Amino acid sequence: MTKQDKKEHTETQVALGKGLDVGTANFAAAVQNEDGGITVTVERNAFLDIPSDVYSKNMLVKLKVPYVVHNNRLVVIGEAAFELANVFGRETRRPMRDGLISPNEQDALPMMKMIITKILGEPRVSGENCYFCVPAPSLDVDNNVDYHRGLFESVINKMGYRAHAVNEAHAVVFAELAEQDFTGIGLSFGGGMANACICYKSIPCLSFSVARGGDWIDKNVANVLGCPRSKATHIKERGIDIRDPKSREEEAVAIYYRSLINYVLQNIKTRFESGQNMPSFTTPIDIACAGGTSLVGGFIEVFRDEFAKIDFPLPVGRIFRSEEALTAVAKGCLVAAAIGES
Amino acid sequence: MESVNDVKQALSARSRTATLDELRNEGRKRVRLIRAEHVASMITEAVNAAVEQSGLVDPEEVKKLVDKSRQEFRSILREREQEAQETNEAQEQLEARDREIAELKKRLEQMSGGKAGASVPVSGDLSAVLAKIEGSINDRLEKIGKKMGVSAAVESDTPVDFSGLFKEADKKLESNMENIEVKKTEGGGIAANLARLKKLKGGS
Repeated sequence: MTKQDKKEHTETQVALGKGLDVGTANFAAAVQNEDGGITVTVERNAFLDIPSDVYSKNMLVKLKVPYVVHNNRLVVIGEAAFELANVFGRETRRPMRDGLISPNEQDALPMMKMIITKILGEPRVSGENCYFCVPAPSLDVDNNVDYHRGLFESVINKMGYRAHAVNEAHAVVFAELAEQDFTGIGLSFGGGMANACICYKSIPCLSFSVARGGDWIDKNVANVLGCPRSKATHIKERGIDIRDPKSREEEAVAIYYRSLINYVLQNIKTRFESGQNMPSFTTPIDIACAGGTSLVGGFIEVFRDEFAKIDFPLPVGRIFRSEEALTAVAKGCLVAAAIGES
Repeated sequence: MESVNDVKQALSARSRTATLDELRNEGRKRVRLIRAEHVASMITEAVNAAVEQSGLVDPEEVKKLVDKSRQEFRSILREREQEAQETNEAQEQLEARDREIAELKKRLEQMSGGKAGASVPVSGDLSAVLAKIEGSINDRLEKIGKKMGVSAAVESDTPVDFSGLFKEADKKLESNMENIEVKKTEGGGIAANLARLKKLKGGS
């Protein structure tokens, strides 16, 4: 940071550093505000292309629907794309799959960059720290996290930030387990993956991911109900309670939610039992859940039910869901960025 | 009595040989001796007694277990012997090279002490020979390292720069994004988190 930059920053009195959650389903950018709180900007990581004509473009402008013209097509971006897809019974295009950049959507990069630029804004000083989340290597699929990290590092650096990657579930620990001295288990239930990180005094001892998340639920629900995935997403997000499903559709969602939670818990158990040089926790540790997929009604109760069924190898105290589950990862990234700036 | 041979080999592989003079120099006047056959017999007796007393395993199963253990033992022993042999070979090669280097150094010293005019070209030849030997030693060490599962390759600290793959993303596209308001939410601050983290890291 130059002297001029520091002077400007002192005048604004807002702490530097930004956090970015690069999620399969949503992007979220967090920044500290003047009131001592944080402001989080969220946008859905999806788009929908429609034929380009003057009428459609005018309509999008009037309705304030964000669009980009790409390869002579109108591409509707973000939440609006999701809403339009539901109206027309179509599938949205998704730049990411299973927590990582999708090889099937290479030409989506300009759109993704546009969303990131919009929610992150300009750096307040040149080289301001931006910590963005990356998933841990997966247990169940062979994925290339390095390429994914390199891509977003490049995009963020080009915007004038200094990009740093932080593990997604580690970010949950930074956001949610401060009172426990950052000791415990952070779980991020995202759209493409579930990430887990076991920390001792903020140091990650074990982290991994499984390539199952909200999209996995949507795919299976869509298969059994014979509907588009975006419809399954809509069912999941319309405010249901998985402890008390009211219809066949909700029943399908509840079944796959329970299966996902059980899968994640079993994998944590197995990994911890087989892990070497693991710390032995003498006092019970807390489990913090976050991520958009954990927002569904009854999530934490079902999680506790499934947890009670397995013989977990660690003493566990409180199991809770973050009060700001959708934005907790971005908040954790912001904590890391702010520490990096101090 | 294969077990006795096994024990002998194991004792031989894991013990050292010392002459009586060496032991005397170490201050030992008397040593206690035991035959390998006795050690083997004691091990067999102890194992059999422990298994019988436990009453948990069928005698037939015990026999199978003993046979399997013996096989396992011989396999491990073979591996250790092979490793020891490889190490000895490597050691011998290194010693041979050391001897060659010492010999060549000696010749160099003799020549430089002789005719001054002849020393320059001979010295140049010798440097080349020494460099060749050094290269040869390095190659051999690398081969031995690979055999033993040790790689000489090092990872660069510089991260891979993927930016060349994303030039497409830098194109200016027509869009109305600048005029669109994005959804913002307010959340709890992070001051407490930062204070805790700083405390953990030993800050104020």
